[in-house]
Amino acid sequence: MQLLLYGVLLTFVVFAALAVAFLRDILSAIIAFAGFSFGVAIVYILLRAPDVALTEAAVGAGVTTVLFLLAIVRTVRPGGDRLFERVAWGPAIIATGLVGVLLTTVRSLPTIGDPTSPVATSEITRYYLENAYPQTEVENVVTAILAAYRGFDTLGEAAVVLAAGLAVLVVLRKEVYV
Amino acid sequence: MSATDGSLSAYVESTIIMTTVRVVSPFVFTFGLFVMFHGAESAGGGFQGGAIVASSIIMLAFAFGIEPTREWLDDSVIRLLVGVGATTFVGIGIGALAFDGAFLEYAAYGISHGVKYGIELVELGIGAIVAGVIVSLFMNLAGGFNHDSGGDDA
Repeated sequence: MQLLLYGVLLTFVVFAALAVAFLRDILSAIIAFAGFSFGVAIVYILLRAPDVALTEAAVGAGVTTVLFLLAIVRTVRPGGDRLFERVAWGPAIIATGLVGVLLTTVRSLPTIGDPTSPVATSEITRYYLENAYPQTEVENVVTAILAAYRGFDTLGEAAVVLAAGLAVLVVLRKEVYV
Repeated sequence: MSATDGSLSAYVESTIIMTTVRVVSPFVFTFGLFVMFHGAESAGGGFQGGAIVASSIIMLAFAFGIEPTREWLDDSVIRLLVGVGATTFVGIGIGALAFDGAFLEYAAYGISHGVKYGIELVELGIGAIVAGVIVSLFMNLAGGFNHDSGGDDA
């Protein structure tokens, strides 16, 4: 049952990704991309990573889609009524080759939920699982690691987000800082 | 076919969208705050909560038009939100130094449950930054170039 669900979802995700690449109309491609992000978010939920799933659903499927939509308002639709883009064979061969190379590494990944996988048996994992609650009194270990153990890294991430906002203000000349 | 003239020509008033957004957006906003505040106990946190809060605002802008939303929620309010968020995060980090702790060492404050409150506050700060930046990205990209800032662009 679980396997069937994974199969359906991953097939959907792959086809959505191909649709993004090949659809000629940019609006359709953006909608396919939102569908792709949403499928990936559900895969993350099945893999028991709700924090990542929330981010993917909110940012990938929601905000990015809206920003893309804003961008294409300023473009014109290509003429003609072909549904799909012509395949450019050079890049297609390179991309397929790259995917093939990456697929060879799949065999060395641990199976899902494998208790003997390096991540599950690692000393660091054990340390966080045992000490996160006594030391921080926060029940979500992910939050404990992000905001306490790795607080400095998270500050860096916040700075990146801030820099993105400032960069847009400067580039669009809403504020003159330079 | 050309949509390049005027940045708001894409807006179409739709009763269905407006009614749906009017009903849904308060719940989305509340859910975003929940994810932000409850990130310490369940899945979520500042980044996710901030993105959800921002999307509830973007929803409003989609339904009611970008200019009315901008009039309702001024740019300076959003910038203030981002500033307060960043100041909270950095302030808590530097504040720990004053109590002989390391940067961002919440335990240094010496309050009971200090680490937990520190984490919660930092999450709220992140949420404010993320929500503010996403809304301001949306508003500014929708507004386009400020043509009257003079001079030719190099």
